[in-house]
Amino acid sequence: MNRQDLQTIIYAEKAKEQNNKYKHKLCVCCGAGCISSGSEEVLKKLQEEVVTRGLEAEVEVIATGCMGPCNQGPLIKFLPEYTIYQKVDCSNIKEIVQRQLIEKKPIEDLLLFADSRTKPFIDAREDPYYKKQMKIALKNCGHINPERIEDYLVHDGYHALDKVLFQMSPEEVIAEIKQSRMRGRGGAGYPTGLKWETVYKYVSPQKYVICNGDEGDPGAFMDRSVLEGNPHRVLEGMTIAAYAVGATKGFAYIRGEYPLAIKRFELAIKQAKKLGVLGNNILGTEFSFDVEVRIGAGAFVCGEETALIASIEGKRGTPRPRPPFPAESGLWGKPTLINNVETFAGISPIINNGGEWYSDIGTPKSAGTKVFALAGKINYSGLIEVPMGTTLREIVFDIGGGIQGGGEFKAAQTGGPSGGCIPAEYLDVKMDYESLTSLGSIMGSGGLIVMDQSSDMVDVARYFMEFCMDESCGKCVPCRVGTKMMHDLLKKICEEKGTRIDLERLEELAVYVRECSLCGLGASAPNPLLSTLRHFRHEYENRITE
Amino acid sequence: MPKISVTIDDKKLDVDVGKTILEICKESGIEILTMCHLKGLTDVGACRLCLVEIEGINKLLSACTTKIAANMIIRTKTEKIKRYQRITSELFFAERNHVCSVCVANGKCDLQKLGYKTEMDHIRYPYLFPECNVDTSHPWYVLDHNRCIMCTRCVRACGEVEGAHNWNVMNRGYQVRVISDFDTPWGESVTCTSCGKCVHACPTGAIWPKAIVQGQLEKKPEIIAELIEKRKMNL
Repeated sequence: MNRQDLQTIIYAEKAKEQNNKYKHKLCVCCGAGCISSGSEEVLKKLQEEVVTRGLEAEVEVIATGCMGPCNQGPLIKFLPEYTIYQKVDCSNIKEIVQRQLIEKKPIEDLLLFADSRTKPFIDAREDPYYKKQMKIALKNCGHINPERIEDYLVHDGYHALDKVLFQMSPEEVIAEIKQSRMRGRGGAGYPTGLKWETVYKYVSPQKYVICNGDEGDPGAFMDRSVLEGNPHRVLEGMTIAAYAVGATKGFAYIRGEYPLAIKRFELAIKQAKKLGVLGNNILGTEFSFDVEVRIGAGAFVCGEETALIASIEGKRGTPRPRPPFPAESGLWGKPTLINNVETFAGISPIINNGGEWYSDIGTPKSAGTKVFALAGKINYSGLIEVPMGTTLREIVFDIGGGIQGGGEFKAAQTGGPSGGCIPAEYLDVKMDYESLTSLGSIMGSGGLIVMDQSSDMVDVARYFMEFCMDESCGKCVPCRVGTKMMHDLLKKICEEKGTRIDLERLEELAVYVRECSLCGLGASAPNPLLSTLRHFRHEYENRITE
Repeated sequence: MPKISVTIDDKKLDVDVGKTILEICKESGIEILTMCHLKGLTDVGACRLCLVEIEGINKLLSACTTKIAANMIIRTKTEKIKRYQRITSELFFAERNHVCSVCVANGKCDLQKLGYKTEMDHIRYPYLFPECNVDTSHPWYVLDHNRCIMCTRCVRACGEVEGAHNWNVMNRGYQVRVISDFDTPWGESVTCTSCGKCVHACPTGAIWPKAIVQGQLEKKPEIIAELIEKRKMNL
């Protein structure tokens, strides 16, 4: 299929959308969170109800990706009113349809956040939960059917790919990404444009593009929701990257615990190939690019790029020392670009709107928006996207609705087991790469676990150390033995059997493991320990027996 | 071969390009502690003993896997590095059940030598005392997991030089173990050629020939590199 054929399809779909016979669009969230609380049953019942009432000519019912407030699910959204109902049960579907669609009087008690707001919003966009957010990577999640490429096409899908293939040289694409000042969303925050340029500069007949979807931090599900809610966006980002760096083959490494994400991404690949936006001679040009899915087998360390590459090669998933970096010698020794799911999801908006537009969002050093997965003792746990530099207070209280049961905020853990905690006195910290690092934490991939006064910080450190100990691949000594030793010492202190000498040993080991470990897993494993020691030292001191 | 200038431990040197920091140090008589490195095998940077400080790089890099580059200023024996080497040495000893006095490698063991070199007078960390098997199923050799330090020199010697791929690694974290085939007794291996390269590659008393007693082990780890040289000559 060439460019004209695709345009014809897009025009046809857009025309269909404009002359829409449907007066209402009813979106049912079918992200993994809502599915687990029964949204598939709700979807079925809603479709039946619409047919029973003979409304099928004016009401379209679709399954979408994640809408955000996951613990309020199952969620359904009525468009164009933007009215969202929460915790929808099969038993109240009849009433919701009657009141919302026939009587046009929404049931206030069932609206989103009805149980926690004095007056819920009929137009959910007015709610501070959505008002404070800015969706770029998650833009169409929750609005479109992720299993239909046509839905994506109508919302400017593959427009950016068309633009780069017909109007831009690879150098211009890289310049645009560099201008956007986007930084890798996988955690380390390496400038994306610079990474692309490095891979571009290596001369090789074979280069690869890898999408890292091996999201393994406890409490984090950003990549899962993007892959489930808008897989084509990621695929388009990968294809643009391949064009820019000169790769012809890509791999999406998705963890095996995400069966829905895998299914939808594989479907997206199939659909994209059929429409000629992936595969040989994309849109009739000389450029060819193919993507395959590789499924991770449940090793946290495979999120580390060199271990991930070993895993794709069919080897034991263990990291190797860098340099050489994958940009020089990656998959099968060839120059390889490896970016996170969220990074790829941010590419097509940059191409469509320009690098300058993106760089104006956020803070001077951290441009754009960041997706966070809110979890823990927070009222509205789920997925949010905010401009970089939004304060932790805004995230926890304005968006997240504060602490469960009216409790007191004690700390938030960012970056999962590789990150650190931020105590209450730093609630006004701007969420960007540098500010978090200066507090002894990291941005990480975007997991944000909120803790209240009932949390025991020594036990929090012990929990994350246990995670790292279990997930250490066992290759290098500091991580293999060091995490085990630190875990045992932390356990001893938790049980109030630790001595001052144990605490000294613990601190010495933490610095040693951080500096000597082979890969990022070991190097960041002591972070939760070091940051709780920094901000909550008294909790350790109180447990020490002299 | 073109030469480049580097500074190692305040000594200015003109050295060949394309070599690793470890190779350069060995050629120049600068001692670097190693355990997982064995000449002739691919370096993996796992033991972290050869970490060096390089000016302008904010992390320690393993000398065995880092290529030397022009104008590098390298320090191999700072107080920090010595301290870390000693911790590594202690962690090795605390990890499994090393009892030198009854070991076949006593007096000839690289791990024992490491203890002396890092001036380890005692071990500050609790011994883990894991339960480890001793595999005596092979007619000639023994694998004693109590003495294994997971350097994977046997794995690489078997795979890269003999090409048999009998050895591999299973589990993860502190529970990793070297395994024969798919974790079958060594004597039942269908891939082992009984060539004995792993015996010579092993730096401790973890793999040894039967019919010897305490302190009698004679190993020739250098045969791995010699063998590779001889093969090149044959070609």
